Amino acid sequence: MSHAPRMDRRTVLRGLAGVSLALPLLEAMGREVAEQTPRRFCALYTANGMSLPHEKNGLPEWSWFPQKEGKDFEFGKSTEPLRPFREHLSFLGGLHHPSGLKADPHLCSDMWLTGAPLHNPKPGAFNSVALDQVVAQHTKQHCRQPSLVLSIDAGVGFLSRTGTISYNQEGKPIPAENNPRRVFDRLFRGDRASLAAQREELQHRTRLVDAVVESARALNQQLGQADRAKLDQYLTSLGEIESRLIASEKWIDKPLKVQDHSHLDLDVTSESGRPGDYYRNMFDLIALAFDADITRSVAFMLNREDGMGISDTFPLKLGLDRTHHNLSHAGDKDGQLAFARYDLFLSQQVAHFLGRLQEYRDASGTVLDNSIVLFGSGASTTHNPTNLPTLVAGGRNLGLRHGVHLRHPHARLSNLYLSILRSLAIEAESFADSTGVLHDSIFTTV
Amino acid sequence: MLVSCRLLRIRPLATMLVAARCCGHGIVLLLLAVTTGHWARGAELPADDADSTAATAALDADFRREVQPLLAKYCVRCHGPDEMSSGVRVDQLTGTAEERHLNLWKGIQRQVDAGAMPPDDEAQPTAAERKRLAAWIGRALDVARQRPRPNHGTIRRLTVAQYRNTLRDLLGLLEDFTEGLPPDAPSKDGFTGDAETLTLSPLILEAYFDIAERALDAAMVDEARPPAIQSFRMELGSGINPEPCPDQLILGANSELLPNADFVVTEPVLDKPFAFEPRRMRTAYEFIEGYQGNDTVRGWRKYDSIYHSVFACIRGTPGYPKGQAVAVVPQGMLLRPAIPSEEVFGQSNTYGPMANFKISLRELPVQGNFRVRVRAASYDDALLLDAGSAPQRPASGQVVANLSDSAENNVTIGEAGIYQIDVERQPGEPTGQLSLKLGDRQVASTLPEQKGATTSDEAQATAFALTRLPAGDLEVAARMGNEGHPRRLIFTRVTEDSEAGRRFRAFEERRPWLGVYLGLRRDCGSTLARVGAAQPVARRELTEYVFEGAIRDFPSPDVEPDNVNYLAGIREIGVRSEYTDGRDRPRLWIRSIEFEGPFYETWPPISHRRIFFDSPSRGESDEYAREVIRRFATRAFRRPITPAEEESLVGVFRGSRVKQRNFQASVKDALLVVLTSPAFLFQIEASTGPQAEDVAPHELASKLAYFLWNTAPDERLLELAARNELHAQLDAQTARLMRDPRFGQFVDEFASQWLSLEKLDVVAIDAARYPRLSRDVRAELRREPAEYLKHLLAQNRPLRELITSDYVVVNEMVADYYELPDRPESGLAFVPLRHGRGDLGGLLSQAGILAGLSDGRESNPVKRGAWLARKIIAEPPDDPPPNVPELKEDAAANLSLRERLELHRNQKGCAQCHAGIDPWGLPFEAYDAAGIFRSGREDDTRSKLPDGTDVADLNALKTYLAGERIDQVAFGFLKHLATYAAGRSLTYRELAVLRGEGLKLRASGYPVQDLVRLVVHSDPFLKK
Repeated sequence: MSHAPRMDRRTVLRGLAGVSLALPLLEAMGREVAEQTPRRFCALYTANGMSLPHEKNGLPEWSWFPQKEGKDFEFGKSTEPLRPFREHLSFLGGLHHPSGLKADPHLCSDMWLTGAPLHNPKPGAFNSVALDQVVAQHTKQHCRQPSLVLSIDAGVGFLSRTGTISYNQEGKPIPAENNPRRVFDRLFRGDRASLAAQREELQHRTRLVDAVVESARALNQQLGQADRAKLDQYLTSLGEIESRLIASEKWIDKPLKVQDHSHLDLDVTSESGRPGDYYRNMFDLIALAFDADITRSVAFMLNREDGMGISDTFPLKLGLDRTHHNLSHAGDKDGQLAFARYDLFLSQQVAHFLGRLQEYRDASGTVLDNSIVLFGSGASTTHNPTNLPTLVAGGRNLGLRHGVHLRHPHARLSNLYLSILRSLAIEAESFADSTGVLHDSIFTTV
Repeated sequence: MLVSCRLLRIRPLATMLVAARCCGHGIVLLLLAVTTGHWARGAELPADDADSTAATAALDADFRREVQPLLAKYCVRCHGPDEMSSGVRVDQLTGTAEERHLNLWKGIQRQVDAGAMPPDDEAQPTAAERKRLAAWIGRALDVARQRPRPNHGTIRRLTVAQYRNTLRDLLGLLEDFTEGLPPDAPSKDGFTGDAETLTLSPLILEAYFDIAERALDAAMVDEARPPAIQSFRMELGSGINPEPCPDQLILGANSELLPNADFVVTEPVLDKPFAFEPRRMRTAYEFIEGYQGNDTVRGWRKYDSIYHSVFACIRGTPGYPKGQAVAVVPQGMLLRPAIPSEEVFGQSNTYGPMANFKISLRELPVQGNFRVRVRAASYDDALLLDAGSAPQRPASGQVVANLSDSAENNVTIGEAGIYQIDVERQPGEPTGQLSLKLGDRQVASTLPEQKGATTSDEAQATAFALTRLPAGDLEVAARMGNEGHPRRLIFTRVTEDSEAGRRFRAFEERRPWLGVYLGLRRDCGSTLARVGAAQPVARRELTEYVFEGAIRDFPSPDVEPDNVNYLAGIREIGVRSEYTDGRDRPRLWIRSIEFEGPFYETWPPISHRRIFFDSPSRGESDEYAREVIRRFATRAFRRPITPAEEESLVGVFRGSRVKQRNFQASVKDALLVVLTSPAFLFQIEASTGPQAEDVAPHELASKLAYFLWNTAPDERLLELAARNELHAQLDAQTARLMRDPRFGQFVDEFASQWLSLEKLDVVAIDAARYPRLSRDVRAELRREPAEYLKHLLAQNRPLRELITSDYVVVNEMVADYYELPDRPESGLAFVPLRHGRGDLGGLLSQAGILAGLSDGRESNPVKRGAWLARKIIAEPPDDPPPNVPELKEDAAANLSLRERLELHRNQKGCAQCHAGIDPWGLPFEAYDAAGIFRSGREDDTRSKLPDGTDVADLNALKTYLAGERIDQVAFGFLKHLATYAAGRSLTYRELAVLRGEGLKLRASGYPVQDLVRLVVHSDPFLKK
């Protein structure tokens, strides 16, 4: 009996991990491919779960998860606005973070994008790195901004009631921006003074890296016959850093892609105006940033857990009779229906976003086809961290095959995240507590 | 597509490389073991280069003629470019016995010898062909073994731990900047310091740049600007605050706060030998979100009191099993040991132990070191007696406090000594909390319900406590519940030697251990990390205990400065009496807790002065800059810098000056280049050619320090290197390094990696099955092997004690876990202790190791066997081949473990390896997945070892290893030590020499320090 190993690119990478010479080749390859096709990621978080009405209330058609599984699923009433994107999205059920079951339920938004064991935190740790920041780490050299971190409320909130879903490599929260005008100014209008300062800083760093290169070269000559493979690795890495700095400096001079911004209304804020106007403008900004390749990684927290912040009042503004947190606790028929109607509102916003991504085009297909959009919550219904509502859209050019409602009972959300990373051509071994990629799912190249 | 194809072709080569590196040398060591005597004589070592070249040429010729055709005929179809069955490919093997192919050759030899390959359904070679193949491989391995290793020096990156320690020692900063560095991958020998596996990537190098920048910013200050220092003190004592905050304070759901009158917060003016600005805490706030009970309350409210910024908080006090968890008395606060939450609730959670005291506050400095000073003492306490203890019989000299009319009374104690206090309750008051005051001392506990109580006058007495009393008048006050009081207290003197007297003396000699924590408050508890090690509190008088840390090493709550939530962004300073195993110990008496940060001993701080040192040319001149840079780079590079290096670095400084950067920033630029240069980041041993050379003096200084301290060499080593005296003083310096406290950094690191202790960190223990293996106990068990090794090294014990000994090295928690008959009285400190047990002693029966080698539910003889073979006797099995089929469940369903293993062993392809693993693992079967001995497993522990020796159980195996096989154990230890010290896998030849050298220590019983010295004197260490 023979077991002919099927080898894919990753097996090769793993096998090669100890072989230094092959790595630059692979990185070069990765860069080349990535420059042809921007691979992007956008995480959208909604707090407090979705409406999954009790059977006794007789509202099956208002369940956020579609009634049927597989290819034949039908959109429920609260996801109806997403129907035009049927072939561009999938519903994934049954996923969860195993650590979520053990943690205080209010932590579900803190850990949604990180999978950190917040019930038993490592001494000294706050959280762990979020998926969008892993993506940013690998895409930042191709675009102007490593990532864009947005939220309904500015800042970071606080542990267990976080105001951001993005955490850096050290697990520290990354402050989110919530004001459309400020976001626009930062992304599309670098002012002269800050550009000059930025350039000076980059040049300064390049100069220091040059000095290090010089000292390494001098050392290399002193070493005589010594085995220089390790130093070669060092010099290669240094070269890579230098080229990244030079690339960053180039962005300063490179004119932005010419775009139509006339549809934006930058006076809208989360406090003033209608919630729909606010979300539409934020989503338009993300779509524009993707289109101009300003960033390839976005995290957007649509609303916050447990009645925190302004988003709790949005259902009231929309004519529903309870706040967001209270709706999520509703067990009665009226309450669950109203909660589902709020889901409907959110579906409209997401549908608007997907539509925008479909309008913009890269060299190879639409922006939607080159982007993975993850939309979900850290609870299925309030405080229940299992069967997390999860929708994955876009990425048809990245190997995603859509148009299904799949159940992955008790599968790890981190396995989905690893699959997303792999689809984005990021050769991660694991993410948080992942045990592997998500099998029998919508990913064909992981 | 083209690219992938190329990569695919690289794959088999890579696999073999990895395999060659991975499997180590042990397979061949099996061979070596057989030929030990031969090698020990060293008759054929070393072969010279010419011999070796000739032998290789002959080998290659025979390969082409005799071997290659056989491989092509019988093997390549499955193990060639098309199929690569099991990831093995033989078509690329050459006839020169390349080092990287040796393990594959060894594997082929085994498969061919056993007739396992080619498989039955394939064409079979003739017996003669098999013999020819095996003979050639045998010769090839011989040639390879005798081949001298080309010496090209080494260049290896510092491990994360070495880098962290080096940066700390160089800059004089406590802070750990390495959080963002990815952990180093372990080599197949388990060591992270292997030059092969220590790779570098742009990601890591970027992190080095970032760390260098942050570390230098932290080290340097603006000398002219006095520092802003925050300091406050919380004093504790009932009614201590004459002006308590009038508000009812609430800090979230279930908040338990000390009464407002029982603590005072002040911001005393510090006495520092330099000018500074006191940074007073902000007290005026306006919040919109707060809590009332469990509800969020919205509405703007203004606050202006320090008591809305600093809280005295306790959590988890109700339900303490014996006595009160926390008591506030006029003299201060009394804390009983903080029982870990999982011991109480059966699961871990973030609420923390019961009870824990915390100062919760809104503001701490953002960076720098801090100090927490705690004025504490061991309380002159009473030992509470367990329910059901017998009251003393009436005796002469009993002193009775009659309290039938009043809660207070005075008595006269005739003779100083230990007294038992028994209580007679009022009729109709069968239970309740009894609070007792004896002079100015306090003790309280809930009295057990009294059976058959009692309306009669003849109330029964209940035994309550033992305490030591001085002679003379004693004020006695006693309360039952809220309002009542008992009828009588009876004081009966017990002699020092009575059972009660002995118990009390043991109790009063125990020390509470003071632990200080820092972190953040969360709604569901806290995230806290310990500041330094817990300290034993021995004295009865208040004494100051100091804890120091770097504030950024602790979790902080990260809220925006304009946060408007009353509960958000709260920091916490936790203070506890540490729990060990639940034994009674005097309470920890805390009078005050003081915080100071950033903490500077001097201004400018030492980290700054180390860079900008005193010099006649001190100022902003280029000359001084040159001195600063030269001195810093010399220390950072661990050797004198070359004139070219100096010019280059000074050039960086000048370049920055030209760009209008100020003096200090320009110096920093040059130092940043130093900290990111390969001379800092790597351990470098330069080489002039492939022949062996002595390591240079400065290279030796670094090698010695990174080996025995896991950090950079100190000034003494560098000085000796500069004078070229280090080689001559090698033994004296080795001895000095082993006596230094930094030697512990080596033992911890080495023990952890050698023995794979990290496995205990990741194994998911089935908490329902092994409730005693809690998180806290695991942390102590994980320390046991290193503490044991430290003891062996410090005392230079014979190596056999690695395997078997009549003592263990334990603290109170570990001793409790093993349920030792004699309990140590050492608190958290590890001490040697005779175990008097048949199932303990030596590494092999340490629970932390055994639990790590389980799956958390069941013991695992395969893991334990492989561990023993690999780590202890250095006869490692091959890695399982890729794509190993799992044993079919149905086939194994009704079989015992032994039978299942046999089934597995009998499968083709598995047999070869498992025959070298399972027999070593079976004797461990008497130890469960939590590492605890269970009797009645005699049938499971019998084993026939690979060399045919029968052992009945682990003790027999230990006896065998510590006796007949002690040479092999010594070799295993030496091999791991030398591999760790050299930072690379050793060649067959080097290992053979090492084995021979090791045998010279046999007569003296292999003292462990001598084994370390042997490694320091070995060629892999001294030659490059």
